Amino acid sequence: MPMVKLLGMMIIVLSGTLAGFNKARQFERRPQQIRELILVMQRLETEISYGFTPLPEALNKMGSQMQEPLKSFFISAATDMNSPQGLTAQESIEQALSVHWKRTSMKAAEREVLHQLSFTLGTSDRQDQIKHIALAAQQLKHEELAAREELDKYGRLSKNLGLLVGVLIVILIF
Amino acid sequence: MKMNWLELFPEPIKSLLEHLPFSILDRLEEIRIREGRPLEINAAGEHHFLTMSGKLTFRVEESYKPGREDTHRLLDRISNHSLYTMEEELRKGFITIPGGHRIGLAGRTVLSGGKVEHLRDISGFNLRIAREIRGAADAILPHLIDKKEKRMKHTLILSPPQHGKTTLIRDMARQISSGSYADSTVKWSGLKVGIIDERSEIAGSMRGVPSFDVGPRTDVMDGCPKAEGMMMMIRSMSPEVLLVDEIGRPEDVEAITEALHAGISVIATAHGSSVDELSQRPAMASLMANQMFEMYVILNRKAGKPTYRILDRQQRAIQLSLPYQKGVDAYG
Repeated sequence: MPMVKLLGMMIIVLSGTLAGFNKARQFERRPQQIRELILVMQRLETEISYGFTPLPEALNKMGSQMQEPLKSFFISAATDMNSPQGLTAQESIEQALSVHWKRTSMKAAEREVLHQLSFTLGTSDRQDQIKHIALAAQQLKHEELAAREELDKYGRLSKNLGLLVGVLIVILIF
Repeated sequence: MKMNWLELFPEPIKSLLEHLPFSILDRLEEIRIREGRPLEINAAGEHHFLTMSGKLTFRVEESYKPGREDTHRLLDRISNHSLYTMEEELRKGFITIPGGHRIGLAGRTVLSGGKVEHLRDISGFNLRIAREIRGAADAILPHLIDKKEKRMKHTLILSPPQHGKTTLIRDMARQISSGSYADSTVKWSGLKVGIIDERSEIAGSMRGVPSFDVGPRTDVMDGCPKAEGMMMMIRSMSPEVLLVDEIGRPEDVEAITEALHAGISVIATAHGSSVDELSQRPAMASLMANQMFEMYVILNRKAGKPTYRILDRQQRAIQLSLPYQKGVDAYG
């Protein structure tokens, strides 16, 4: 019997620790992914202002050079634009957001930035596009800063907290 | 008939157009969309509005009126979600789509230094359906051949808009270039043809490659100002026949004079309904006074049927009002 008890304790502590690590990883990934998005904005600006690359092609190109989960987000937005239902650019991005956003570690603030950008993307002249993209990049930078602060504050905390919660449960139960 | 242009239209406009009777659909010339105003179609020289159930009507109040959502979607699609790639097209006021069709645009212009820089708040669309009619020039072409010199005569084609000028010279380019000439007594092969296609209408080029069959020995200078294009062609492409659409500015006249003196046959079109009317226009007057053109072709439309007249240098009629032999109905 004590063996089984010991095993149960270990499992609880372990899963608490893992949950803590998982949460910590979310905190770590968020600023990384925001940074990736900012780079995307900069590349998009170049594609639009110098390359005259059509939006679906530009999104496809950038998506294929990125890592999951942002990769499938951009590629699916580009694919939707060329779909026979004839979605607009805005609808395509919105659809991709609703399918792929939950797989990222980012939060509602970043989503809102992309949501706002989707209304202007592709619907005006180059100068106007560049202004809107620069604005989005600016907002993302702001979010990145906030995300880094959160990481500093809660990153290690959540790791430790996971372990401690595991131990607490064990104490309470046994 | 291929109707890939239909795919551009958002619902419900697409299904309204799809359900038109075939006799109308087959002869469609224009589809006009104006935000908040009736959806209009032009077929065989007549205009109609469309009701919500797809019926033809002349009454404004019964008609389907496309809203902001419709025009927004349409613009998004014709620009491939990328309006910023269309700056040059917006400045000119039209977009050429695959198949050589053109969509004219109307909206609010943005000026820079007194020149149109951009078009925004686009609310008016006019899809002009381009038709390739092989044999459209069959009736006219034999009159324009100089059999002694084995060349084409300098020709001016006159017509009001929407009478098939472009369809006609497109087929001329194809026939002259491939050497068919619609005349069995002509035995020599095709000539080198140069087309100056300022508004991408004749060849309907997409990325520099013609969408229409303009013949195997034809070069196209796409989107190029006519006068400059003619000079570029003469200098670099050694054409034997030059085709130009809608001449009228002083510099066009100068370039044509240059081409004529270089021994190149010029086939040009101009807006107008008679030679006299053209002589009144200051830019054209010198061309007419020097009798630069050997032949005049005047297109017209009687009771919906296109007709033509051919005059010689002294404006004597060679061929009196006759209907076209082929493609009688479908001039767009």
